[in-house]
Amino acid sequence: MSDFAAPTIDYAGLSPVIALTAGICLVLLVGLFRLPHWVAPAKTLGVLAVTAGLCIWQWGENEDLVESALRLDELGLAASLIAIFAAAVTTILAMREPAAEDAGQGAFGALLLGSVLGMVLLAQAQNLLSFFIGLELLSIPLYVMCASAIRRERSLESGLKYLVIGSVGSATLLYGFALLYGASGSTDFGEIAAALGEGGQADDTLVLIGTAMVAVGLAFKLSLAPFHQWTPDVYQGAPTPVTAFMAVATKAAAFIALARLFEVALGPLTDDWQPALAALALISIVVGNIGALGQDSLKRLLGYSGIAQAGYMLAGVVVANETGLEALVFYLAAYCLMNLAIFVVVVVRERETEHGDDISALEGIGRSRPALAWPVTIGMLALAGLPGTSGFIGKLFLIEATVEGDYTWLGVAIVIGTMVSLAYYLRVLAAVWMRPEPEPVQTPLPAIAGASPQAPATEGPRVTPSPASERPLGAGRCVLVVGAGVVCAVATVAFGVYPDPLVDWATDAGSSLSL
Amino acid sequence: MEATEYGWLILAFPLAGSMLIALGWKLLPGRSAGWIGTLAIGLSFAASLGALFQLLDLPADERQLTHSLYDYASAGGLEIEMNILLDPLSVFMCLVVSGISTLIHLYSVSYMTSDVGFRRFFSYLNFFVFSMLLLVLAGNLVLLIVGWAFVGFASYALISYWYRRSTATEAGMKAFVINVVGDIGLVLAALFLFRELGTFDLLGIFEAAPEEFSTNEGVAVAIGLLLLVGAFAKSAQVPFHTWLPDAMEGPTPVSALIHAATMVTAGVYLIGRFYPVFEIALTAADVAAIIGLVTLLLAATIALVVTDLKRIIAYSTMSQIGYMIMGVGIGAYSAAFFHLMTHAFFKALLFMAAGSVIGAMANRQNIDLMGGFRAAMPFTCATLLIGAAALAAFPGTSGFFSKDEILAFAEHRGGFYWVFAIGGYIGALMTAFYAFRIGFRVAFGEPVPEARELEQGHIHHAEPKNPATGEKEDTDVGFPGSSHQIAEREWPMKIAMSVLAFGAIFAGLVQVPGLDAVVEHFLEGSFEDSALYGELPSDAAEWRGLGIGAIISLFGIGIAAQLYLRRPGTTARLQQQLAGLHSFLSHKWYFDELIDALIVRPALGFGRWANTTFERYVVQGLVVGAEGTAKGASALVRGAQSGYLRSYALLLLVGFAGLGLYFLVAGS
Repeated sequence: MSDFAAPTIDYAGLSPVIALTAGICLVLLVGLFRLPHWVAPAKTLGVLAVTAGLCIWQWGENEDLVESALRLDELGLAASLIAIFAAAVTTILAMREPAAEDAGQGAFGALLLGSVLGMVLLAQAQNLLSFFIGLELLSIPLYVMCASAIRRERSLESGLKYLVIGSVGSATLLYGFALLYGASGSTDFGEIAAALGEGGQADDTLVLIGTAMVAVGLAFKLSLAPFHQWTPDVYQGAPTPVTAFMAVATKAAAFIALARLFEVALGPLTDDWQPALAALALISIVVGNIGALGQDSLKRLLGYSGIAQAGYMLAGVVVANETGLEALVFYLAAYCLMNLAIFVVVVVRERETEHGDDISALEGIGRSRPALAWPVTIGMLALAGLPGTSGFIGKLFLIEATVEGDYTWLGVAIVIGTMVSLAYYLRVLAAVWMRPEPEPVQTPLPAIAGASPQAPATEGPRVTPSPASERPLGAGRCVLVVGAGVVCAVATVAFGVYPDPLVDWATDAGSSLSL
Repeated sequence: MEATEYGWLILAFPLAGSMLIALGWKLLPGRSAGWIGTLAIGLSFAASLGALFQLLDLPADERQLTHSLYDYASAGGLEIEMNILLDPLSVFMCLVVSGISTLIHLYSVSYMTSDVGFRRFFSYLNFFVFSMLLLVLAGNLVLLIVGWAFVGFASYALISYWYRRSTATEAGMKAFVINVVGDIGLVLAALFLFRELGTFDLLGIFEAAPEEFSTNEGVAVAIGLLLLVGAFAKSAQVPFHTWLPDAMEGPTPVSALIHAATMVTAGVYLIGRFYPVFEIALTAADVAAIIGLVTLLLAATIALVVTDLKRIIAYSTMSQIGYMIMGVGIGAYSAAFFHLMTHAFFKALLFMAAGSVIGAMANRQNIDLMGGFRAAMPFTCATLLIGAAALAAFPGTSGFFSKDEILAFAEHRGGFYWVFAIGGYIGALMTAFYAFRIGFRVAFGEPVPEARELEQGHIHHAEPKNPATGEKEDTDVGFPGSSHQIAEREWPMKIAMSVLAFGAIFAGLVQVPGLDAVVEHFLEGSFEDSALYGELPSDAAEWRGLGIGAIISLFGIGIAAQLYLRRPGTTARLQQQLAGLHSFLSHKWYFDELIDALIVRPALGFGRWANTTFERYVVQGLVVGAEGTAKGASALVRGAQSGYLRSYALLLLVGFAGLGLYFLVAGS
């Protein structure tokens, strides 16, 4: 036994992680005091801003951290920034979410930050152990947040379902890690690659089964078909801001982690896993687009669309080249913007109408609420890849990467999937622009003298109202929420017309892995 | 200013107009939105003229200019710039598109006056013209696809413009779906071109294509066919044609704009633009020519029997576009684009005249109900007859010179291409007949009550009804407005139609065999490397073709005069005697039914299956326990929950087993 040497720690490189950890404690403490309701969200946003600042400060650094448990590079930082941005928007959205208030804004904010911390670690991990810790740190707060609307059965069901299936996924992943460790004798990505590359090892049954298990575990997190079944249910049941966060941030961190794991540690096996991941991508594109066709619930629809979109993005990993990674990073950022633009509108309309997240909740807002109608329109069109939006450029890059990586057929699948997806995205837009606004729900008039005492009992079945949902929302909060949607939408169009800055950013990130 | 600066201005004005109206519509009183829209397109036309003059100043072989505004999407091996290609062909198209569109905007200012969505209409209209100009000016395939998709989207918005009409939204949907199929074709073509040649740049493609591909090489033919799918869908060629007649649900100016002068010509432009590919992929070019011929004949036969005024004109559009597609398919580029120009004049004119007649008929469109308008609406009837004459290729009119030039070229190429000449002349006979079927039925004969009312100085009014279904219109947003406009009373309509009428008669004189060949000389700069462009028939051959065309045209008009002027009622008897044929034609060769049975129903069934079975059994889990349904509500949730989870886990394992097996097989 050699004596234990403390690893050298680069505090500057670790600063985003440290800031988040400190921030979690800070935000949690808010609950101790009777402070105005906006303090916790404001603190959360502050922590996120500081972390984002630190990430930008570290942009351009390229080094191993903590005995190469983590890797500081633009790729990981890019995913961190996407996750931080999504968390910031989620914090703003959660101000309109009774569930977050029920849970205590402090607790909600701390959970959110905890999940972001997991994502930062996951995106930077280059060791099986730190990888797994990051993944669990990401997931466990999410399980709780899904169930945080404790008065709604759906929310509890969603949290429980996510927990059970998530555990199966994690277990599979861990088993796979164990096999990989067994075969290579190391948990470090670089050393695994070296061991597997030595020849003979790559065809080892242990390695192959391990790779398959790792792929399954991650496919679950990314909601890739056929490991996607939880997605629509959980998306629908979870409080909408949480859904928004899961949809974009988890994807960003997990995709980057997947790319790092497969292209660095399992690099010697590229020829083996490429067709398998390509098959997963194809199945996801098919299943997601078919599943979304008949959906009436917006959140379910977005869940299925997310499966299809994950399929498109996986193409960026499949090709295993730099172009693919750049396209992936670009698409993740673009996807984050366009999806959040839509979720903002869902959150707002959920509270304003009786339709919840049904498509009919959006009917007629083109006329009455243009500030909501435009973000959802732009978001949907970008998801559908309409030219002039960042979604178009993103898909173009992905397709180009497939051509370069000799997976043209996957590019063709993306094209056709995109065209099919128009059918369900445009259905939403038809509701927004072409349907009349439903009559406002009349509150029962006070009984007129002489009228029957039985007032018309037309109240539909309602969920138990939570105290927070009864409280009128301040106009200021609403402006903030709608503003977030408008910002996302404007950015989606801006990066569609002038994508250069985002392209440069994605190029930096994509090339930092130096494949 | 440089020619390319004019090029950017051509695009900037319509876009600015569209944005201005869309964002500031609340501040625009009365007709001002219409005037802004008209001005925007007018300025675009002026910029096109500027570009034309700049281009003419350059030596003939230096007239292909590109200019890039900024890097649009460049990363890795991909370099796409925001660039336009300004050459004779694109300037020619810009002139036609912006010129005709200006007049249509002017017409719409009056025609749409009483429509509730007046400002929305002009915002769409400007955006549409912008998209079309972007398509035409695009310097690389990606921008071309951007414009292509925008055109599809704008046409969807305009066809479903009266969105409370169920027929209009259905028509819009149909147009959109078929257009998306075309988009897939075009995008895949771009994908394969990029894979083979490594560039999206148009000039780069044209340069590399002859070097990389050998004649009739499989890939090249495949790319050509994929391009054709895109072109056929936009240009409403068989079997993607069914959306065009239905698209007549849009307001009449929309029909004039989208479905006569601009959008449907995009396919012709695409094939012409990609001539270097088609001259290598000869099979694909032949396919284009054959489909063009089939479409022109099929559409002409249907136009003989349809009774809806706008639909007759729509089928004539299909048929005329068939001539153009056939023209670019056989290599008669200058003739095809010449015909594109003259067709834009007379077809826009026909639609405008039809709009005026429909106004007088209080929005009814059935020609069986029309007649004797010549006294009540002398101007409208005169322009209608001029449009019909040009469509019928009456000697001396614009359509006469352009159509026969395509057919003369087909004769000149000889061999197998004779088929196209003969088919074209058969089509011309039918065209002459149905063109004057419209003219004679509307203008001559016994005046109908509406015409009599108008002679007394009063436009007929009727309960607003959907002409297609007879449903009562939604008088809130989805109907053409409470008052009706006719050209006799509105000076903007009159001006627009007068200009077009002038063009419909005289535009042909720019290219008379033996005298001048303005279009052909001008376009030469775009077709420099073409093997076929210089292959022109002799003047004598062209004049022989014109002679045949004149005889056929007069003969067709004569039959129409015989049937509709001398012995009205003959057609009704004919219809009874040939009931089978008539119903076959008036059902449009049962194409809708065929597509319905082959594609729509299976697709709907698939959708329903996706919605119910797929979701329930495959996605939501394999088993939803029967016991669960029998239990109480909360028990149901619990039962279903655990049921779901079990099955989810099962699928997870199945998926894993699949992956694991794959890896084992792949590894061993």
